[in-house]
Amino acid sequence: MMYIVFIMSVLYVVGFIGFSSKPSPVYGGMSLVVSGGLGCGIIMGSGGSFLGLVVFLVYLGGMMVVFGYTIAMATEEYPETWGSNVVVLGAFLVGLLMEVFMIMWLFSGEHELVGFYFGGLEDLMVLGEEGFEYVREDYSGGASLYSYGFWFLAMAGWMLFVSIFIAIEVTRKRY
Amino acid sequence: MNPLALSLILTTLLAGTLITMMSSHWLTAWMGLEMNMLTMIPILMKTTNPRSTEAATKYFMTQAMASMMLMMALTINLMYSGQWSITKMTNPVASNMALMALMTKLGSAPFHFWVPEVTQGVELTPGMILLTWQKLAPLSLLYQMATYTNTNLIYLSGLLSILIGGWGGLNQTQLRKILAYSSISHMGWMLIILPFNPTLTLLNLTIYIMLTLSIFMILTNTFTTSMSSLTLMWNKTPAMTIMLMTTLLSLGGLPPLSGFMPKWLMIHELTKNNSIIMPLTMAIMALLNMYFYMRLIYYSSLTILPSTNNMKMTWRFTNTKHTMTLPTLITLSNMLLPLTPMISMLE
Repeated sequence: MMYIVFIMSVLYVVGFIGFSSKPSPVYGGMSLVVSGGLGCGIIMGSGGSFLGLVVFLVYLGGMMVVFGYTIAMATEEYPETWGSNVVVLGAFLVGLLMEVFMIMWLFSGEHELVGFYFGGLEDLMVLGEEGFEYVREDYSGGASLYSYGFWFLAMAGWMLFVSIFIAIEVTRKRY
Repeated sequence: MNPLALSLILTTLLAGTLITMMSSHWLTAWMGLEMNMLTMIPILMKTTNPRSTEAATKYFMTQAMASMMLMMALTINLMYSGQWSITKMTNPVASNMALMALMTKLGSAPFHFWVPEVTQGVELTPGMILLTWQKLAPLSLLYQMATYTNTNLIYLSGLLSILIGGWGGLNQTQLRKILAYSSISHMGWMLIILPFNPTLTLLNLTIYIMLTLSIFMILTNTFTTSMSSLTLMWNKTPAMTIMLMTTLLSLGGLPPLSGFMPKWLMIHELTKNNSIIMPLTMAIMALLNMYFYMRLIYYSSLTILPSTNNMKMTWRFTNTKHTMTLPTLITLSNMLLPLTPMISMLE
């Protein structure tokens, strides 16, 4: 199971490289969707099935849809893709090369592997450490946001509201 | 700006800093820093020219990058220690990365490049908020977590800040850039004393905020933003010209004014800890700051440049700007030195 999470993490970074090399937002949006799906897979593979589905629903199903529609309204006639411009292709290949080097370094020496332990029992006991716990952490985390973490929720809602205000204030007509 | 929107944005700016200063959990501290950053953007973009839009964009980019680094430091700390407390970041990777992120937020070298450009691109009032209020939240976090960081990094950054703040301000004629480099230099002084005696960091912050607020308010009242407008200030408000002189001397750290108090106590504390070369270098480099403040004083108060005769007899219109807190601030920023024994109040 940890192999699957590891491969998904690598592909997640490759997806990030895909839009960081700055093609047109049409292709960047596609890369974001791929990365978002893989990120959801990482969360689910590490035991948080509820929060992974929340990522799919809210991030991909809400925000990326709106992003996709706005790009479709503002797109140009010949959008720049990874193969059309040598700068974008070069940036993508450099990022890919860096990722390959990092994986080679990760498996090279005798140092401790940070964050990944191949050979654990993650398939059978999904909560990470040895002992079987009676409380699912992701469900109870989501629930405690509404009970103990009420002020976190209030602040998060307040900041979403203020962010809309700021976005409208910044994009008002400026003469 | 619409008064309702402005009040919402200023409330959230205050709330962000207060949340960071009151928190013991790293996530709420990070949340307060993000609130600060986001609500600073429309304040910086209050005027409608492309220059302030560019300044707001630069501010957003650097602060977002610093927030990202801080988040990575927090998660590394969580991975190695399993807890979110601010005062116990024992992993060196996490604490040094968080240190660098907070130094970027403060604008100390070598992460200082955004400060002069952002301060110059905006009006005087947003620049004032940028250089005074936005220092409170990152410094309150640094005050709590600095014991576990690599102190060599703090000394290096502080010394570099004093050098760059001194040398960078020498060639400037625009007052906002001069005040930005002065801010970088004062951040350097505040950082160096942090491992030795954090109370003096808070003292320096308090006195620096009072001084910077006084100077910005004097400049806002007389509509001066460059050195050439400074030369005409003697005719409009002679009293404020003299006050600008004394406040600038205080900012440079000249006794018997209150700006001398933090510098004196810091050099005292450093020499008590057997470090001689560093306070010597700091004191000498503070003279660079003093040189360009003296240049401002020379052109505003000590000389009257040649001008036509009718410019020497301008009609005095009534001042439409508020000067409500200015007399108090000027008095505090010039005459606080005899109250030095009261710093035990800050402990």
